[in-house]
Amino acid sequence: MNALTGFVLRRVIGAVVTLFALSVIIYVVFYVTPGNVAQITCGPRCSPVQVHQVAQQLHLDDPLYVRYWHFLQGLFVGQDFSTGTSVEHCSAPCLGQSYQTDQQVTGIILTRLPVSFSLVLGAMVIWLLLGVGTGVLSAWRRGRFSERALTALTLAGVATPVFVIGLVLMIVVCGELQLLPFPEYVNFTDDPEQWAWNLLLPWLSLALIESANFARLTRASMLETLADDHIRTFRAYGVGERAIIARHALRGATASVIALNAVTFGSAVGGAVLTETLFGLPGVGQELVHAVKVVDLPVVVGMVLVVGFFVVLANAVADVLYAVADRRVVLA
Amino acid sequence: MSEALVAVEAAGADTAAPAASGARQFWRRLRAQRAALVAAAVVALLVLIALAAPLLTGLEGQDPTTYHPALIDSARGGVPTGSFGGIGADHWLGVEPQTGRDMFARLVYGARVSLGVALAATVVQVVLGVAMGVASGLGSRWADLVLSRITDIFVSMPLMVMALALLAIVPDGFPRPVLVALIISLVSGWSTTAKMVRAQTLTLKNLDYVAASRLSGWSTWRTAVRELLPGLAAPVITYAALLIPTNISAEAALSFLGVGVKPPTPSWGQMLTSADVWYQAAPQYLLLPAAALFVTVFALTVLGDGVRVALDPRAASRLRIGTGRKREARAETAGAFGAKKEDRA
Amino acid sequence: MRQPSVIARRVAAASVSLVVAAGAAACGPKDNDAKGSGGDSTPHKGGTLTVLNSQPQTDFDPARLYTSGGGNVPSLVFRTLTTRNRENGAAGSKVVPDLATDTGRPNKDATVWTYTLKKGLKYEDGTPITSADIKYGIERSFAPELSGGAPYLRDWLAGAADYQGPYKDKKGLSAIETPDSRTIVFHLDKPEGEFPFLATQTQFAPVPKGKDNGTKYEEHPVSSGPYKVVKNENDGEHMLLARNTYWSAATDAERKAYPDTIDVRSGLDSSVINQRLSASQGADAAAVTTDTNLGPAELAKVSGDKELAARVGTGHFGYTNYIAFNPTVKPFDNPKVRQAIAYAVDRSSVVNAAGGSALAEPATTFLPDQKSFGHTPYDPFPAGASGNAAKARQLLAEAGHKNGLSVTLTHSNAKDFETSPEIATAVQDALKKAGITVKLQGLEDNDYRDTIHSVKTEPGFFLAHWGADWPSGGPFLAPIFDGRQIVKDGANFNTGLLNDKSVNDEIDAINKLTDLDAAAKRWGALDQKIGEQALVVPLFHPVYKRLYGSDVRNIVISDWTGVLDISQVAVK
Repeated sequence: MNALTGFVLRRVIGAVVTLFALSVIIYVVFYVTPGNVAQITCGPRCSPVQVHQVAQQLHLDDPLYVRYWHFLQGLFVGQDFSTGTSVEHCSAPCLGQSYQTDQQVTGIILTRLPVSFSLVLGAMVIWLLLGVGTGVLSAWRRGRFSERALTALTLAGVATPVFVIGLVLMIVVCGELQLLPFPEYVNFTDDPEQWAWNLLLPWLSLALIESANFARLTRASMLETLADDHIRTFRAYGVGERAIIARHALRGATASVIALNAVTFGSAVGGAVLTETLFGLPGVGQELVHAVKVVDLPVVVGMVLVVGFFVVLANAVADVLYAVADRRVVLA
Repeated sequence: MSEALVAVEAAGADTAAPAASGARQFWRRLRAQRAALVAAAVVALLVLIALAAPLLTGLEGQDPTTYHPALIDSARGGVPTGSFGGIGADHWLGVEPQTGRDMFARLVYGARVSLGVALAATVVQVVLGVAMGVASGLGSRWADLVLSRITDIFVSMPLMVMALALLAIVPDGFPRPVLVALIISLVSGWSTTAKMVRAQTLTLKNLDYVAASRLSGWSTWRTAVRELLPGLAAPVITYAALLIPTNISAEAALSFLGVGVKPPTPSWGQMLTSADVWYQAAPQYLLLPAAALFVTVFALTVLGDGVRVALDPRAASRLRIGTGRKREARAETAGAFGAKKEDRA
Repeated sequence: MRQPSVIARRVAAASVSLVVAAGAAACGPKDNDAKGSGGDSTPHKGGTLTVLNSQPQTDFDPARLYTSGGGNVPSLVFRTLTTRNRENGAAGSKVVPDLATDTGRPNKDATVWTYTLKKGLKYEDGTPITSADIKYGIERSFAPELSGGAPYLRDWLAGAADYQGPYKDKKGLSAIETPDSRTIVFHLDKPEGEFPFLATQTQFAPVPKGKDNGTKYEEHPVSSGPYKVVKNENDGEHMLLARNTYWSAATDAERKAYPDTIDVRSGLDSSVINQRLSASQGADAAAVTTDTNLGPAELAKVSGDKELAARVGTGHFGYTNYIAFNPTVKPFDNPKVRQAIAYAVDRSSVVNAAGGSALAEPATTFLPDQKSFGHTPYDPFPAGASGNAAKARQLLAEAGHKNGLSVTLTHSNAKDFETSPEIATAVQDALKKAGITVKLQGLEDNDYRDTIHSVKTEPGFFLAHWGADWPSGGPFLAPIFDGRQIVKDGANFNTGLLNDKSVNDEIDAINKLTDLDAAAKRWGALDQKIGEQALVVPLFHPVYKRLYGSDVRNIVISDWTGVLDISQVAVK
């Protein structure tokens, strides 16, 4: 077994254990969370008789371990749900059905993932450009006005909550200047151009928050390379500063930027809650927060598993990419 | 946090000086950086303002909770009647829309909560992170495995979900700022610290002087306290300085979701949350807390950079004369990976 | 009642629900009429009306919707036996026939109600609507799979309390008879003079049995109204409605149905909705919202802009925000303590916290300030606009709390500006002047509901609200003050735990009346009688202020819903 296979194997086992533990934790946490699920589902004015009927319908009266067992069953062999007039089969891996809306959790996730991906992918391009650009400038042109302005901008992004940045951007760009329509999610497959225009502001808002990290990382790695002896040798030989930056310093920073990017990407897929809420993007994070508030356990568990999966995956990918880009690192 | 990234962060410390080579040296190096000095002054001023909040508001003659209905126009949604949000001799920074509460008082009292929560969260993150990291670094293979998995679980858990769920479970009597600090620290930051410390510990463990002390029969505990912790100080302090601003932003994000401190206690995050819609009608209501937050995060970030340089002399010399070796500079990247993304996005 | 909330999706799905995430409920100048839309106001057919909402149309199934008067968007697709009168102001709180030829024919003691369907009624597929379909629609609302509707059918229909719906119990409800395809007869347990009001709710919409697919029915419910569902994405987040060609204006005097298509987009941030409506560019010029109020910040901006101010529709929905007491908890068992708090409350600062005098009106009566509710102006504890601290101190002293009092006020942490921290701190600030130290206990929304609606955990002093299921005193007073509606093992709304025989008897007596005007007067008198006991301290009634796009015409805002009626709107 070579190093890579061993690494992948260990990572897969680790991921499975992590996700399994996550699902158990969520079940326990939500079991003790206040909020009468049957009453919430049925409505505040429901009589005790009706609440009891709903609780039976949703198997809420079963003990915790039975409910968790049903969850596992659904995951590995599938589950049947009654619509009242017929029975629907949800084939494995079945994450169950929402208490509140009767939608299948897998379906909910599948409609929401593309939205979150659209948001994060676009934002990624911007945070890479802005972050790495700022980092390069601050390593190369330290103290110049452009460098200071960009550094201040990225720090302002960190310091200002996204709901403020996003709303002010919307008011100014869409409301007052009317340069763009107010964002509204359009499927990429329906109209790629509208998709991009509508997502431009959400991308910017999200990217502003993240770019400071990239700027700092890029600057650090570049300074490190620029301080290297071989760079001094190049300089002595009269290689231009521009070439040194582009060919050597930037390349030196690539590995760590790629790694940070994977991690940021992974956690933003389920984590851009505020951006999604503000811009009304029906993504994973928004649905997750909503599901927590209405104690919709199947949706919460399903979403947390998917979000967790991306975080775990992103971390593994970061390690592999890092190793590929920088062969000095040995996979641990 | 990916292990590769942790490796990057931790790399600089494998040659870290045994024991702190002297606080005096640290101060000397810190003093040499003008930007860091200014930042330190700003941070000190902010802390002073927060501590002296009752004194300052007493000087102004206001408090953060009293309503002043006469100063707002109820028919127009409660916008302050005075110009520039009601700024004047009585209300130095004007009054809050809808209530007429004094903005200056709310801002300085808000500093207490925002800074306090951020600092407390950072302390918890560091303590927890170091404990977990050292334990898995020095412990048996199994202990390491279990602790690393626990860390992973926390990394993959969405902050918002846990915050909302925890809030519903914890009894109402529990002091809210403490809870907010705990939520921030438990769900983010500490796991990164733990992974970094673990990697660091693994490296330090094999250094001659640590190995020697282990061989001479010292207990693991004694080894950790006497030999490891001093070696960990530099990277941990560096990382902590960078966690604080992240934690301040996290408090604001939690407020937006209704998981922040409770009214009428003011916090910057809470002020921003209710102020964003007032951007057009009463801009100062939004701009004041936003500016306070920006200045604080900016100053703390610059100070954090300064501290890192001061703790890592080679980084400092490299910045000046362009020498230094690869690995030290790698430690610079330590700050790049703050808390997980969702706490701000 | 309908509890509008961002949290309870199923409940808030009612399209008239009040959503105030970033804004507040409202109050202000007493103009019940909509402001003019300006320009050429003649409505024409055609175009697309966009609806920008915060709450998705979740569970778009007539069995599951909890609406007042059939809702706004649902009412475009579901016709019911009766419906609300689509007129401005007070005239709009009348109930009028819809599918039926009249508002119902009661027997002598109002325990049997008979309806006859109009001729020529058709579904979107051209098949005729029969009385059996209406019976089936009601029956399926009893299925636990399709829960969510109002409790009245279960309470009122004879022998229906334990019915589990047609999926589990094929026999059906014997309380509903359909002697022929156009006649339907309801047998009730007790006299209910307000049955015609209940028949406006979506549960009275016809559902063809052959098309019923249980919980999946909401994806494409069969339309009986002027529009049919052509697209329903993400569980009601994006819904597209197009004309139902089998609907005929000849059988429907209420819905105008000017636009060709209705595009309902939900899940939007409330401040974004208001920004879009105020910018009114592109498709947003033909946009309205049915669930998002102007917030105080937006109001401040709108009031300084003539063009915008002309595009605000003002309305009143029967709704009261109040302080509730549990008189079994000390010191609130002492009426003097409750009265002292009633005197100490500063309604002007509460109103400010709720968004200012344009968005909330101070309330001294539990009944909303409208004739149809039987509103009788009274103030048992007159304390002026900003409270009477001296009187409160005196009452406290009489109650034996000379040196002041320390109490806990329970409220929710929801951002609704109704039971939320903002209102609680305004109360706290006012009571401080009367020597009452208030400790705030803020609970997460679900926890808050569970706590205040359970007799076992109900706190002594808390914020609450109540909204109208229809514009009459009955559904407003009975659930809160009828002693027989105290629920010991479930959600209880009689939080004052009042079980007064004279009150119970009067409620029964009024329910026998089928003359709704006479009933209204007696509800008003009953409200005053209960108000004197200081079991609640009314704080404010909201005022709805809704922006609409610049191309929107024919604005009708009734006192029933308080919001612009989209069945009347034209965009051309």
